[in-house]
Amino acid sequence: MQDDLIIKTTNLTKSYGPHVALNKLNLSVPKGATGLLGPNGAGKSTFLKTILGLIQTTEGEGTVLGLDIRTQGDEIRSRIGYMPEYDCLNPEMEAIHQVRYSGELLGMNPTIALARAHETLQYVGLGEQRYRNIGTYSTGMKQATKLACALIHDPELIIADEPSNGLDISARDYMIETLTNTVKTGNRSVLMASHLMDDVERVCENFILLHKGKLAAQGRIEDLKAFDREIEIHVWGGASRLEEAMIARGMGVRREGRVMRILHEQEDTTSLILQCAADVGAQIRRMHEYEASLEDLFLSIMENLGYEVKTSEDLLSSPAQARKVDAPGYMGGGAA
Amino acid sequence: MTIPETTSSITAPVAPVAPVAPIIPQPVEYAAETPVTGKVRLEAAWGSTEGDEDFTTTTSSAPKPEGQVFKPQYQQWNGELNPRWMRNWAILRHHLLGIFKKGHRPWGMPIRLYLLVVFIASLSDVGLTLVSALIGDSGLHSIWGVSRDNLYGHVLGFFPRNMLYYPVVAALLVGGVISEDRQHGTSALYFSRPITRFDYVAMKFLSVALIQGLIILISLSLYYFAEIATMGRGWAWIIDTLPMFLATVFSAILLIFTYTSIGLSLSSVSKGKFFPGIALLSIILGTKILAFIVSNLFDREILYLISPYDCLAHVGQAIIGTQPTYDQYSWTWSLASLVAMNALALYVLTTRVSSMEVTRE
Repeated sequence: MQDDLIIKTTNLTKSYGPHVALNKLNLSVPKGATGLLGPNGAGKSTFLKTILGLIQTTEGEGTVLGLDIRTQGDEIRSRIGYMPEYDCLNPEMEAIHQVRYSGELLGMNPTIALARAHETLQYVGLGEQRYRNIGTYSTGMKQATKLACALIHDPELIIADEPSNGLDISARDYMIETLTNTVKTGNRSVLMASHLMDDVERVCENFILLHKGKLAAQGRIEDLKAFDREIEIHVWGGASRLEEAMIARGMGVRREGRVMRILHEQEDTTSLILQCAADVGAQIRRMHEYEASLEDLFLSIMENLGYEVKTSEDLLSSPAQARKVDAPGYMGGGAA
Repeated sequence: MTIPETTSSITAPVAPVAPVAPIIPQPVEYAAETPVTGKVRLEAAWGSTEGDEDFTTTTSSAPKPEGQVFKPQYQQWNGELNPRWMRNWAILRHHLLGIFKKGHRPWGMPIRLYLLVVFIASLSDVGLTLVSALIGDSGLHSIWGVSRDNLYGHVLGFFPRNMLYYPVVAALLVGGVISEDRQHGTSALYFSRPITRFDYVAMKFLSVALIQGLIILISLSLYYFAEIATMGRGWAWIIDTLPMFLATVFSAILLIFTYTSIGLSLSSVSKGKFFPGIALLSIILGTKILAFIVSNLFDREILYLISPYDCLAHVGQAIIGTQPTYDQYSWTWSLASLVAMNALALYVLTTRVSSMEVTRE
């Protein structure tokens, strides 16, 4: 199990004077794709700089690919491909030479770096455009070039900081597909920092959620999503009566007009809903399983569970009521 | 409307034309009970019923082959990465080769042209030495040939060389070397790789210094060797003049180092290439003019100590051995001032470079 971990930190702390950017972070990131989530100021950038070995930790320790982040920064950066969030390309250079140069900066022989630059640009979909100046590229093409720079030396771990930032739908899809392909067919690991939950959901199996420098939650996205299953029904006539009847039976209900979401806690929740509807004479026009998006879950954790460290197990073992993704008051939801 | 009855039977075997999917021939028969179709009407209208009952036709009814999107496959690479010296060489090479060819650091065409003009202009000493050798006039040769004053003049002397050549070359070169990494965020490319801040600064410094060195030192060497070659100088002359040649080389290195350190420190505090360039020129030329005015008005030369050019000239005069033009204070003051200027510039440079971010700039 230990061998499967690409990042491991123990009580990792980084302070800038009185400001604690990372607070006793205990992380275990397995191989594969992991999403790094968190609002602005959560400590994502500090965490990335720390694992790249660029800043010294105040306390605690950590390893990336088995290398110590405090003493082996150079080796870590040789084995990692970092794709920054912001522009990092010279607009007056052709993409092929920019990617080649990024390989040379890693210590690749110029001839090999050039050959590899052709391969990676082909892989990210810029094969035909590689001799164009980067200044003439669209945002999507620039992002792809950044990815090619990160992939040139075939790193074991790719850190992609907001890879789909500013992309239109098709470019975003392509980027996500390329990252997924890198993980699945390339057998490489990806740590993807993003605020677009959708993208994280599509690429990653695991997630880390940071908030105010602390670890708010970590685990498998699948597990996270499993804990909050609901059934959505559209009711015609007697919605209030139905709501009361279901609450009386101890079911977790939240409602917005004729649409209600009922916590899917038991096997027979569906039968119970239908039974209640039959009892009060309400018509159920539509019924389907509602799967909360990662964004809902993110808000749920942040708002309802506090910011203490949580793993998938913690989340799954929480009482159902506490796990409820509650709607705001104006939508008929109760207080968190 | 009556529909003509037809009894003709058309068999249309379809040849397997598409190599991808074999097409199974489907005979179509038309009879009285067959629903009226376009083909039947066509047959009714144009068929002669004389021998064309056996009419067969071959139609290409193969479905259009679907396009195939070739999904790029991730290619693994099992090569070895070279050590630190190779990474540093890559930075140096990137900046140096950019002057001569595409694919490396893109120096602007005006910069490249200016460097060429200055290089050719710096070779004027060589040309004049050749001319004096050709004419064979010793008077002319004493003016243009290698001497203490002329060697000093080649590096530090007289307008326009001290105003338009090397300060402008330095300003054009240092302008964007670090500031553009800030502007474009390319610093992230360096620092997310195993490049240390020291290596980054050292290689940028060295590359800018080497480009200046190529112009100043190569032209100086050509001047010296032109004298040897054209005037047939022997070992005695070489031994006699080598110390002053080396002193001139040292002065040139001091000039290159000072201009580069001040210029790069300005580049490191900026996000564009204009400010560092213009600020370097302002410092070099502005302090010189100010000190000159004060010297003329108040007969006080002390302000020359804040002028990088004058300090360099003063130290250069002392070590090459020409007649000093600054006589109110010792040249060691100028040397101390140069050390202080360089220390301050390098301090600013290192502080600013260590604050350059990888994740966000």
